[in-house]
This record gives sequence, C-alpha cells and structure tokens, in this order.
Amino acid sequence: MRLSLNRPTRPPDEASLLKYFCLAPVVIYDSLFFLLPLLFLVWIGFWTVENYQAVPGFSLTNYIDIFSQLFSRSRYAFAIAQSLWVAATTTLLGLLLCYPFALALAFVVPPKLQRFALVLAIAPFWTSYILRLYAWQTVINTNGLLNTLLMKLGLIDAPLQIIFTQVGTRIGLLHYLAPIMILILYLVVCNIDVTLLNASKNLGATTWQTFWRVLLPLSKPGLVYSAVFGAIISLGDVLSGIILGGGTGKSILGSFPLFSTVIFNEYAASTNLPRTSALATLLIGIMVVILAAGLQFSAVEE
Amino acid sequence: MASKPFSARALTVTGWLYLILGYGLLMLPILTLVIFSFENSRFPTLPWTGWTWSWYQEMFTDGTLIEALKASLFVSPLAAAIATVLGFFGAYALNRFEFRGKQPLTILLIVPILVPPLILGVAFLGLLSRVNLQGQLYSILITHVVILLPTAIALITLRLMQMPKAIEQAAWNLGATEWQALWRVVLPWTVPGIAGAFLLAFTFSFDEFVIAWFVSGFEPTLPVSIYNFLGSNLSPSLNAIGTLVFLLSILLLVGVELLLIPMLLNKPTRSR
Amino acid sequence: MNQPVPSTTMAPPEADPSPVISQDLELRQISKCYGQQQVLHTINLTVRQGEFVAIMGPSGCGKTTLLRIIAGLEGIAAGSVVLQGQEITQLPVNRRNTPMVWQNFALFPHLNVRKNIAFGLTLGSHRKGEVRQKVQRMAALMHLEELLDRRISELSGGQKQRVAIARALITEPPILLLDEPMSALDPHLRVRMQGELKRLQQSLEISFFYVTHNQNEAFSMADRIVVMNQGRIEQVGTPAEIYNQPATHFVAEFVGNNNLFDGKVTDVNGTIITVQCPQGKIHTLSDQPHTPGDNVTVVVPADRITLADQPGALGNTIQATLRGREFLGSQVIYLLETTAGYEVQVIRQEAFSQSLDIPIDAELYLSWRTQDTVLLGERS
Repeated sequence: MRLSLNRPTRPPDEASLLKYFCLAPVVIYDSLFFLLPLLFLVWIGFWTVENYQAVPGFSLTNYIDIFSQLFSRSRYAFAIAQSLWVAATTTLLGLLLCYPFALALAFVVPPKLQRFALVLAIAPFWTSYILRLYAWQTVINTNGLLNTLLMKLGLIDAPLQIIFTQVGTRIGLLHYLAPIMILILYLVVCNIDVTLLNASKNLGATTWQTFWRVLLPLSKPGLVYSAVFGAIISLGDVLSGIILGGGTGKSILGSFPLFSTVIFNEYAASTNLPRTSALATLLIGIMVVILAAGLQFSAVEE
Repeated sequence: MASKPFSARALTVTGWLYLILGYGLLMLPILTLVIFSFENSRFPTLPWTGWTWSWYQEMFTDGTLIEALKASLFVSPLAAAIATVLGFFGAYALNRFEFRGKQPLTILLIVPILVPPLILGVAFLGLLSRVNLQGQLYSILITHVVILLPTAIALITLRLMQMPKAIEQAAWNLGATEWQALWRVVLPWTVPGIAGAFLLAFTFSFDEFVIAWFVSGFEPTLPVSIYNFLGSNLSPSLNAIGTLVFLLSILLLVGVELLLIPMLLNKPTRSR
Repeated sequence: MNQPVPSTTMAPPEADPSPVISQDLELRQISKCYGQQQVLHTINLTVRQGEFVAIMGPSGCGKTTLLRIIAGLEGIAAGSVVLQGQEITQLPVNRRNTPMVWQNFALFPHLNVRKNIAFGLTLGSHRKGEVRQKVQRMAALMHLEELLDRRISELSGGQKQRVAIARALITEPPILLLDEPMSALDPHLRVRMQGELKRLQQSLEISFFYVTHNQNEAFSMADRIVVMNQGRIEQVGTPAEIYNQPATHFVAEFVGNNNLFDGKVTDVNGTIITVQCPQGKIHTLSDQPHTPGDNVTVVVPADRITLADQPGALGNTIQATLRGREFLGSQVIYLLETTAGYEVQVIRQEAFSQSLDIPIDAELYLSWRTQDTVLLGERS
C-alpha cells in the first residue's frame, strides 16, 4: 500500500480560517502604510523637477546629479563621510563603554539586586529623547554646568568647546543607545552558561584568560547585534546632530553636517523633493549594506 | 593563595566604581532637568540662585506646550492600542501556524523598526501629501502604528512562546472552537505580554519626534513642540515640562518592572 | 493440573472476535508518517464499552501518537477512527468528545478549580444552575469540594490530577483518554491513585484509553493491555495473559523478568515439545504445530525457578553457577552462569540475609514446571 502524506485533521490545520483572520489586518496595514510609502519614496527619487514642480517619471537625473557631485568636493560626499565616521566611532565607543557595564551588571551586582539594577539602567529609555538632549545642552554648553564646574575648580582657563561639535553629537547618541546596548549585552552575557566559565577556571585559566578566550567569543553575537543596531541608529538619527552637534558639528574630518541632517534640512527647505528622496534612498542603501554585513558576520561566526 | 582573593576584590571594586560612574552619566541629564526646573534663573547654570515654581506656572499658562502635550496624550495611547491589538492577532498566527511564505511575512512585519524614522517620515509625507492627508493628528496616528507594530509583535511573541502548547490544545479537546480557545485561554495567558507591549509602544510613540515633525503640520505633538521651542525661546519651562514627562516615565517604568522584565528574564510573573 | 494453555493472545492484524454492534472505540488500519519515516504501521484496535485498556511500550513506540490521533491532534496517512459507530476521522478536535487527561494536566492557570472543571460545559448553551450542579457533583466524586475556589498554582500534584480528571469527565464522554497521568506524581502517591482511578472507571462505566510506560500501572488497573513497539502492536491481552504468555520476543523481554534461550526443537510428543538449548534440554507445552529442527526461543520466567543443590522433581532442570546477588527490597535477584557461559536470572521473594546462605560459585540446579515455559518462534 502506497502511503500518501498525512491527511490533516482539523484543527490544527494549515488552512484554518482563523489564520487568515489574524494575519490579514497586520499584513494589509503594513502593505498599505509601510510598503506603499516606501516604494513611493524610492519612485519619487526617479522624478524630475520642472518649473519648481515635481514631475512624475522615470529618470536617473537625481542619482547622476548626486553621484557626480560625490566625487568632487561636494557637500553630499562630506556629509556621508561625516555620518559614517560618527556612526563608526559612536558604535565602537558604545561597545567599549556598554560591554563592561553589562559585565559588571551580570557579575558584580548581587543576584537579588540585578533586576532592579537592570531596570535602573534602561530607565533613561523611558524619558523623552529630545528633552534629554536639551538637558545635555545645559551640561556641555559653553557656559553650561561642566564648563562652569571645571573653571571654578581651576582645571581649565577657557571653556571647552564641546557643544556644536561631533563630540557633542556622540554624547547625545551614546546616551540614547546605551540603555538598549546594555540590555542586549546583559541578556547575552546572562545566557552564557556559567559552568563554562567555571570549567575554564577549573582548568587553570586566569580571570583575564577566561574572559578573553571564553566569555568574549561567546558574547560575539550580542556584540554584533549591538554594533549593527548602534550603527544604523547613528546613521539615521537627526536630533542629536542638530541639537548638540549644531547642524554642522566639527569633527576630525572637519565642520560638516551629518548626512541625515542634510536630508532633514533639504526637506525643510523643500526645494527639490525628488532629489531629497533620492538622497533618502541612498541612505537606505547604505544601511542595507551595513545590515547585510552584520548578518553575514554573525552567520560566519556560527 | 594570597593573590587570588586580591585580584577578585580589585575586580569587584573596579566594577562597582564603573557602575556608579555609568549610572551617574545615565542619570545626569534627567537630574539636571529636575533640579533646574526649580532654579530661579533664566539660564540654568551654577551657582544656584534660588528656588521657584515659576517655570511650572509658565508652562501651564503657555498654551502651546500644553496643547502639544494633549495632542501627544491623544495620539500615543490610541496608536499603542491599535498596534497592540493588531500585533496580538499577528503574533498569535505567527506563533501557531506554519505556512509557506512565513519567513518573508515575518521579515515584512519586523522591518519597519529598522528603517530610521527619518526615512519613514519622508516616505509618509510623500504619500500623504498626494492624498492631502498630511498635517493632521490622524496622520501621525496612522504612521506611528507602523513603527509600533514590530515591537508589539516581538513582545507578545515572547510571551506566547512561554505558553505551554498543551493548554490551548486542552481547550480544543474539551470542546472549544479555535476562536473560543483564543479568547478564553490564549488571551488571558498573554495579558502580561499585551500590557508590556502597550507600555513600550506608548513610550515609543510619545517620544517619537521625527515622523511627527514631518507629518503633523500645524497640530504638533509634544516632541515637535519642544523642538520648535528649542529653536526660538529657550525657556526653563522646558525643564518643567521635562520633569513632568519624567514623572510620567516613572509610572511607565513601574509597569515595565512588573511586566516586561520578568518576561525578558523568563521568570514567572506574580499575577495569576 | 497440566492443562495446555491455549494461546489466544496472538497479535493482530485480525480484529478482535467480538460482536459488531456497540463497539465503543475502533481504530482501523491506522498508519502515520513523520516525513519519510513511518511511525505507525496499520494499527487495529478495539476498546469495548466500559473497558480499561492500557497501552504500554517504550519511548517512541507510538503510543502517545495513537492517543493524539484519537483526540484529533494528529493527522493520519491511512485508516479511520470510529467512535460509537460513527466515523470521527474527519471531525475537528473540538467535536470529537474524546476528552483527555494530560501528562502535565494542562490546567488553565488563569481560572480557579471550579471554572476549570466547568470549562467544557460553559462553551455551549448550558443553564448556569445546571452547570453549577454538575460541577458540585463532580467535585464530590473527586473529593474536591473544599478546593473549588482555589487557584491552580496553590494545588498539589495529586489535587491537580483530580481536577484534570474532573474537568475531562464533566461532559460525560463515552471514553476518557489518559496520557501518562501518573508521571507527574510522587511515587508513593501513584500507588494510591491507581486504586482510586480503577474504582472510578468501574463505577462510571466509561472506557479508559490509558497510555503509560510504567508496567505496574498497566498491570494493576487494566482489563486489557496493548503492548506496542516501534509503531506496531506486539500483543493484546489481559494482564495475566501478557505476563504469563508473552507472544513475541519483544513482549517477553519488555514485561516481567524473563530468561530467553534460543535453541532447536529435538522432539515433539503431542503438546510436549523438547528443545535443545546451550543452557540445557528444556521441555515446554505448546498446541502450535512444531517439527524437530525448528529454530525456536524458550522463555523461562525468572520468578518460577527454584534453586537447590540437587536436581528437582519439576519438569525442567538445568545447571548453573551462582555469580552474584542483587538486593531489591522484598526480592532478591540471583545471577547465575550456565556451563556454556550464558546468564540466567532467578528472582525469589525472600530476605537478602536468607539469600546469603548460598555462597558465590556454588553449583546449583535450577528447576521449574514444564507449563511455566513459553515457546516462541524464531527471532525475527
């Protein structure tokens, strides 16, 4: 007797009506209000402008425009470079600062207090981002708290210029990213089997060796996720660059705005909608590359 | 060995110092907001000039900030509620059923959170202006739901994965239809996840600036209003509103502590 | 009396010889696959009205899968399930009226005991008063009256089990499915619950389809036992039949403590068959036809053997040397080795101290009755 595949009984049944009923709302909603606008955005990038009016069409004018400018000393090139630089340094700093914090949370804080300590660490996430940036302004301003304190203590003669530089931007970004990075890294570290660490010690490794050869490699997935997350958020962020970076914050590269700021301002000026959309599409492209690289990196590690 | 305890202790001390420093930096801006909302000076700075309630008074008499707060308090709970409801059904279906195309579908539902609000704001404005729907609170409502859905789905899924499959099957076995089992067994189980998702979604929406800026026009939400404020009249009443918002956050935090953290750390909640 | 024991306990594929009408649960030609692997091979089984049937077998034999098929939680590749004369194979789970007592009870955590029990009745249109009455009666039956308003998290394992049973029985189904319901209980509780469960089943006259891997449970409660292995039914019979007349090699090894000796038939004298094994010459009874030269397996139950320092007067005697003893509480296992180097086990109901009378390496004679030997065909 030749056996066919199992005849399904009902339920559990793949053709259940309930399945469609449950999935339809979200799928329709996202298709209508997410996919559609996004595809529309990409399409607008191919429009042209005639007589100050955006004209639908399918032309590469905007992209040619942008790319031809990229390789001369145009503001777009510098903005992209500035964004990539700030994103990279912020991500790196974020990992360097948040990973030890997560480790300290997991290993130094007594187990009973850990939950409370974790809630405290992610607490800033529940306050308003924009207001936090305003508060940081108060702190790092030329005549702000930090400078006033340092001068009063006699440590410096003239105020430090932190605000309206990319250092300021980074402070804002890091403060935004920290709670989430700490959470991700803490959860990853907690899921590492303690017996592995004990086994390492048992076999004679010092604390440093155990960290370097066991704990760190096992934390890699968390580090990669945090890094990708940090990079993408940093690239897409608008507020920190404007409020603390002053729009054209100074960095090692020079006084250039971030790419996100450029897009934001061009939109506010709304002179050339198609070209701004092309710029936004370009940003999406950069992020997709980073995401793909991150996924590839974490897949290779598996 | 004498050196072992020492190095362990040194590590612990370093750890605590680092933690204290870290917490200090994390809390610094918030403390600044709260403290300087009471200072009697136009520009928040040292030395201390005196205590006052005037900034709170000014905040309440100034119409724009309060209007914006009301707008935010209208949009955010509603957006969070819609996202939570849609998200619950989506999460249930994803958790229970296997089907072709499940993976692309899951990606579609998660991706909105990866796209920066900047891009989304531009995209939404582009589409909405074509159909003349921009510049209204409802526009913000619709667009916020899109970015809230992934988080809602993720959190509810987290809770659903903790549900023993047997209880839903037991409900069927005792005669319940799929719908009855969903309503009377699965939903009660998922309530902590739904509540946590709502809180988180509310927070995201309440604090979301960029999309609201693009889409709101003349009916701004609170973050947009604050941004406008920052540009023009830098008043310490911002500290006052910041403190109020912070108090609201504490309430939300308590909810998080009771609901979200146990779920994340996979411990049983005290309720039920 | 040395009556030959008729072997009526051969395994299917023939269906049970019973009246056609009013069979309670019938499984007909059930087959199931997981991907490329076939996990159930043409299962045929009937559970009669009011019968307590235990399905027994090692992990992975398919017993739980069979249970879930009856409940409708799993699909089948071929065959049908018939309940009270009606084919229910295509019915969804909730319409089958085959309530189950789950392994970890699957009680609804958000409802109290009363609401858990009442669940099945609250789905359709039952009057509130009627529901309340029925719950009260069921609670009395299961000794749960004082616990009705408790939360599930406050209950002990035994209490949870009773709630699970009450919940399943409230709709007065024709059959109750039980999936290893004792496995989540403390061992000392299990023994007590076995008696209660059996009494309950008999008083309610409901059929029980009871899946377990614990032999004690099956033997103490079941009217009939089904032994399964690797997706097939090895044997169906009463506990006594399964224990005393294992029909296949698997059953002989799985149930009880049996010694299996392979050998060749040397002599056939009516129903007395003589088999030559490396362990010795063994006599057994069988009404199946055998010819000298057949390869067979002889099953000698370990608890039917007597030990002595002289040949016994019973039908069978072999020689072996004592190699070791194991203490089992009220029993002692003797481990012996025959001259050809084969292991034989003997279990005796005696105190360990008494067993020490026989020293290690003693040469002993093992004896048992001819009718206690079981003859099986060649190992497949």
